[in-house]
Amino acid sequence: MKELSLNILDIAMNSVKAGAKNVDITIDEQGPELNLTIRDDGCGMSPEQVEEVTNPFFTTRTTRKVGMGVPLLKLAAEQTGGKLTVTSRQGEEKHGTETKALFYTDHIDFTPLGDIVSSICTLIQGSPAIDWHFVHGRDGKTVELDTKELRQVLGDVPLDSYEVIKWIEDYLKEGYSSI
Amino acid sequence: MKVSELAETEGFRAIALPEPGREIEGCYIGDLLSWVMGRAREGNAWVTIMSNINIAAVASLADVSCVILAEGVEPDAQVCETALAKGINLITAGLPAYEVAVKLSGMI
Repeated sequence: MKELSLNILDIAMNSVKAGAKNVDITIDEQGPELNLTIRDDGCGMSPEQVEEVTNPFFTTRTTRKVGMGVPLLKLAAEQTGGKLTVTSRQGEEKHGTETKALFYTDHIDFTPLGDIVSSICTLIQGSPAIDWHFVHGRDGKTVELDTKELRQVLGDVPLDSYEVIKWIEDYLKEGYSSI
Repeated sequence: MKVSELAETEGFRAIALPEPGREIEGCYIGDLLSWVMGRAREGNAWVTIMSNINIAAVASLADVSCVILAEGVEPDAQVCETALAKGINLITAGLPAYEVAVKLSGMI
């Protein structure tokens, strides 16, 4: 993908499909290191599934035999000298999946982050019932959005109403102008 | 032209030919896998320098007739096995992508 933000969209959609109620997307940049974490409380995967998740011929889809989300993120990370790890657990109480990717942003093959604001807005608009927590830290400065906090202010106004999405977009853009 | 004929052409060498009888129809060049996934057409010979396992998946999704690894690139052992298992033709060529395409255009 030409932008990392599209990879993030792809991985977060796995959380949506896993029935998550909460999804945390964290980007932490310190010097040349960029750590991306996508954590959810969805149904999780078995150890066998986790083992196979970076294999492009593994997919939970039934419409085709190939799943490229995790393999492409892994490739994007490894191209910069970084790595990808997936941990997951199933069960009654604590369940969910955490996908972590480390990138070296000073590597020539680092894929630019791209339009992360659009990706976040798309996710919220597409799955307004999920609580999304997004944090992007860059050398001590932070952009943060928590839909749980938003809901308290909004009351009955749905997250996917045009005005709310527009407000989120402007809020994130403003945040990015200062980091 | 069939993939098997290309594999016998000077400068090309078969790495895995599970479907030697496939007809080559046109050519696509690209290394950004997500881009190739959406753009390479069925039957194309796909020329790339990428050599990891994901090329087998992209080749399968796009249903290309073969993958040509340019610049003498050799795939990982796992890629060969997967290509054989999934019916993906893999050919390596010593030439750069442009020259592979030029040569192809005179033959297909």
